Amino acid sequence: MTLQILLAISAVLFAFGLAAVLSRSNAIMVLIGIELMLGAANLNFIAFWRFSENPSDLAGILFAIFSIAVAAAEAAVGLAIIILVHRRIKSVEVDDASSLKG
Amino acid sequence: MIGMIERAPVELLGWFLGLLGSFGVPSWILAVVSAVIIIGTIIGVFLGLFALTSVMERKILARVQNRYGPNRVGFFRWRLCGLFQPVADGIKMITKEDIVPRTADKVVHFLAPVVMMIPALMVLAVIPYGRDMVPADLDAGILYFFAVGAGTEVAVFMAGWGSNNKYSVLGAMRAIAQMISYEIPLVIAAIVAAMIAGSLSPSAIVAAQGGFAFGFVPQWFVLTPWGFTACLVFYIAALAESNRSPFDLPEGESELVAGHLTEYSGFKYATFFMAEYVGMFAVCGMLVTLFLGGWQAPLPFLAVIPSWGWFLGKICFVAVTMVWVRATLPRLRIDHLLAFGWKFLLPMSFAAFFSAACWHYAGRGPAAWILSLAIVGIPYLILGKSFSNRFAVSRRTYQFSE
Amino acid sequence: MKFLGDWFVVLPAAVLLLAAGASVVMRNLIHAALCLTLSFIALGIVFIALGAEFVGLVQLLVYVGAVAMVIVFAILLTRPDRLEKSRTPFSGFGPAGGAAAGLVALVVLLGFIFSSPLAKKPLPAPASAPAAAIGEALMADHVVALIAIGVLLTAALIGAAVIAMEDKA
Repeated sequence: MTLQILLAISAVLFAFGLAAVLSRSNAIMVLIGIELMLGAANLNFIAFWRFSENPSDLAGILFAIFSIAVAAAEAAVGLAIIILVHRRIKSVEVDDASSLKG
Repeated sequence: MIGMIERAPVELLGWFLGLLGSFGVPSWILAVVSAVIIIGTIIGVFLGLFALTSVMERKILARVQNRYGPNRVGFFRWRLCGLFQPVADGIKMITKEDIVPRTADKVVHFLAPVVMMIPALMVLAVIPYGRDMVPADLDAGILYFFAVGAGTEVAVFMAGWGSNNKYSVLGAMRAIAQMISYEIPLVIAAIVAAMIAGSLSPSAIVAAQGGFAFGFVPQWFVLTPWGFTACLVFYIAALAESNRSPFDLPEGESELVAGHLTEYSGFKYATFFMAEYVGMFAVCGMLVTLFLGGWQAPLPFLAVIPSWGWFLGKICFVAVTMVWVRATLPRLRIDHLLAFGWKFLLPMSFAAFFSAACWHYAGRGPAAWILSLAIVGIPYLILGKSFSNRFAVSRRTYQFSE
Repeated sequence: MKFLGDWFVVLPAAVLLLAAGASVVMRNLIHAALCLTLSFIALGIVFIALGAEFVGLVQLLVYVGAVAMVIVFAILLTRPDRLEKSRTPFSGFGPAGGAAAGLVALVVLLGFIFSSPLAKKPLPAPASAPAAAIGEALMADHVVALIAIGVLLTAALIGAAVIAMEDKA
């Protein structure tokens, strides 16, 4: 179990999240992709904490805890916005929210 | 002699493992065997409690409603007050036809009871059943309890949505809204006990409630103003978390057919039922651990009864009060339920938290007791008054046609 | 934990990647959300396996108990009235574009990871972060961040409630 394997796992997770954000047409799938990317970043933090020389410096763990809290807040606000947009234009596809286009 | 009964389960396990070890069994197999025996014992005890509770609940409900409960099913021509009813119920549940709706999502519909049962059993690992009898003495045991308990919400949603039934989805959404709303007062009330005890580990919280003030008054947290409030908040939120009356709108038979359990029959329904009862006992166990002193005896000379006996007794007492509440109180409507949770229980849990902190920093003396009582009592009076004004019951006038 | 050794990290990590991949490509939105929940659970177990039990349990409590449920609620509240099978689940550059972008990002990241000397560290002895130490660090060194998170969560809660409220005009 080397640090490189853990970072590679988190890189693959990040790539999955990025693919979801860029290619899916449902706004909620985009948000799922964002959550995957945030999870990958958290895994990086914990991996670096695990492999650090003095593990009593809890910066990695604290950063991960704060990141989880912020991700939860952002998911809640993002989904509230999606519900509001659905109420206006009756659709959750990202291509349909195009009234400012052109 | 008394010490022998007290230590009997741990000593038996140690003797058996020593016996196996003397046969040359490697140590990792011994660890696995020890874990399997502990898990088997706990699951066996709790499933036995589940069976007894199902018949006890029906009989208590019946007596409150001025009728007998099940009193026929016995064993080999002895009636035995109908205590073998769970056996009959079990045989019925197992032999019932398992109906799955044609358009239901097969995988999700099948996995929902499994996903419901897993957290209900996993949370039993951190509860201290007696002196030195915690299966997993985790450093953050309370956090583990609530984190794993959050898995039941996923199962409720899977059950509701997998049935492909409007009533199931609606019932599942209501159930999840109720569970999420009441999880916050539950956790804050638990944190009150953890804060005063100084640790998130259940065995440390039980140890912090040891000793006797004035020689005979136990120092349980429930006997303090903030602890009493937190215990009541925890109790009410626990009733809501396990979907028990008066918060059983998600599964009431007269509402929404059976909510998220509509399309389940036979053994899957029995699994849901089992998960609900085991979850109820688990959260009773946590309430006893956090506020009622865990496995400790209330008076010094009553320590002759073993610690696991006291724990069992306290759990059964709390479970009987839950059945009593079910028999007595009417069901709450969903908007009343959510309003009660957010506008009364949450501020009361904050008041208990603040009161506990003030009690600790005011020196835990007589002045601290009066201060903490005030900090808990004044919000209670204000909130209670506002709620009773809103839902005031006026005198009924009957209009008859003449 | 000791006799499983590395498998305690590798197995949940494999489940994590499989579930994340499945949730990205699935057409049925609810199935995608359930696979996401499974990936959150697996990520929590990976955190616990790496020795950060507190973070793992917080991950399970917050992500599985709250974020996954909120996502599922949003999916249920924004369902189309008629099942539209004609809309493709991919937009913009389509699945090929998304996969290409993901692949480029992955190659770049892996290049950095496997060429940096920082990532070639040996495995130290197992560390432990007891909850008491985390609590003290939060309250003593990082109390400003803690209070800022509290303010942020309160603002997010009130904001989300206001945004999603029905117009009672």
